[in-house]
Amino acid sequence: MFVYEKKLQYPVKIKNTNPKLAKFIISQYGGPDGELGASLRYLSQRYSMPYPELKGLLTDIGVEELNHLEMVGAIIHQLTRNLTMEQIKASGFDTYFVDHTAGVYPQFASGTPWTAATMQVKGDTITDLSEDMGAEQKARATYDNILRMSDDPDVNNVIRFLRQREVVHFQRFGEALRFTQEKLDQKNIYAINPSFDRQ
Amino acid sequence: MANLNKSAEGMDCNYKKGSLPGCAPLAAAYVPIQEEDPPTYGANEALMRGTLFPGLDLPFMNSVNKTVPYSGTPLGEIMALGFVIKELNLYLDTHPDDREAFRMLGKILDLNQAARMKYVKKYGPLTLNDLEDCDTYSWLCDPWPWEYSERRGTR
Repeated sequence: MFVYEKKLQYPVKIKNTNPKLAKFIISQYGGPDGELGASLRYLSQRYSMPYPELKGLLTDIGVEELNHLEMVGAIIHQLTRNLTMEQIKASGFDTYFVDHTAGVYPQFASGTPWTAATMQVKGDTITDLSEDMGAEQKARATYDNILRMSDDPDVNNVIRFLRQREVVHFQRFGEALRFTQEKLDQKNIYAINPSFDRQ
Repeated sequence: MANLNKSAEGMDCNYKKGSLPGCAPLAAAYVPIQEEDPPTYGANEALMRGTLFPGLDLPFMNSVNKTVPYSGTPLGEIMALGFVIKELNLYLDTHPDDREAFRMLGKILDLNQAARMKYVKKYGPLTLNDLEDCDTYSWLCDPWPWEYSERRGTR
């Protein structure tokens, strides 16, 4: 079960509104490599994980991704507070505004709604952990791109934190994959799928 | 955990490197395993840099945060300690036998409990359970975590 803690993992305190930034940072909320997909990927994959170390890691990283979803939501919310109609039209935020006003909706920067088609639960230990390592790199590269485009120090402060978390998660998934490989038949690590076949 | 050993930095193998198998099955991906008892940042620096571990600290364009909001406030303290707990949690998931890391986790959990109580007394509940120590149903008090607030953590 989940218990809500009334705080963010890392503070989001953005002095200046800026709908232009919100328009692309929304992709880390509900985009193809965003935090919603990350949390659902790990929290869904964990059911077929065969070893306690993997059940724990997928749960613990999946929960942390929910913290990050909340932080990205806070960024969008704070960047779009107290907007005037002039700001909305001038920034190009009007195409988002017409559908969602200043609400926070999980979508790609391009406007496509969040979709489970951006993630997979294969039910195969090596495959799922390999996907997770790729997912962390895709999210890291997206945060790199956000840092390339944003010049707001309050926003970049949070983005740098979120980006570094992707690097740490990549390392942990890599270690989990190594752990899995060592449990398997060293003559043929693909002989069975430990998520499904009895060893 | 061991202190950051500056003299080891120039050597071939140090806390920024990890172990790979000497001989391993083909057609497999290998990430180096982080060595046990790695050097760590202090809690505030860990939160600011986004990792407890200098060895994993790999910033974009080598540009790093110099400050973190609410640092030095009760809110800043529970964020920093909570973050160290999370980092040790993930580290121990893949290094469950590192006694030193487990000992550090116990120490930080103690500090965090004291810091949480301090925060709850001043600013209200963090979880519904904290209402046990409150006189009114203060769960609903603004600001909520996602809201912009000048005064949060400084009241």
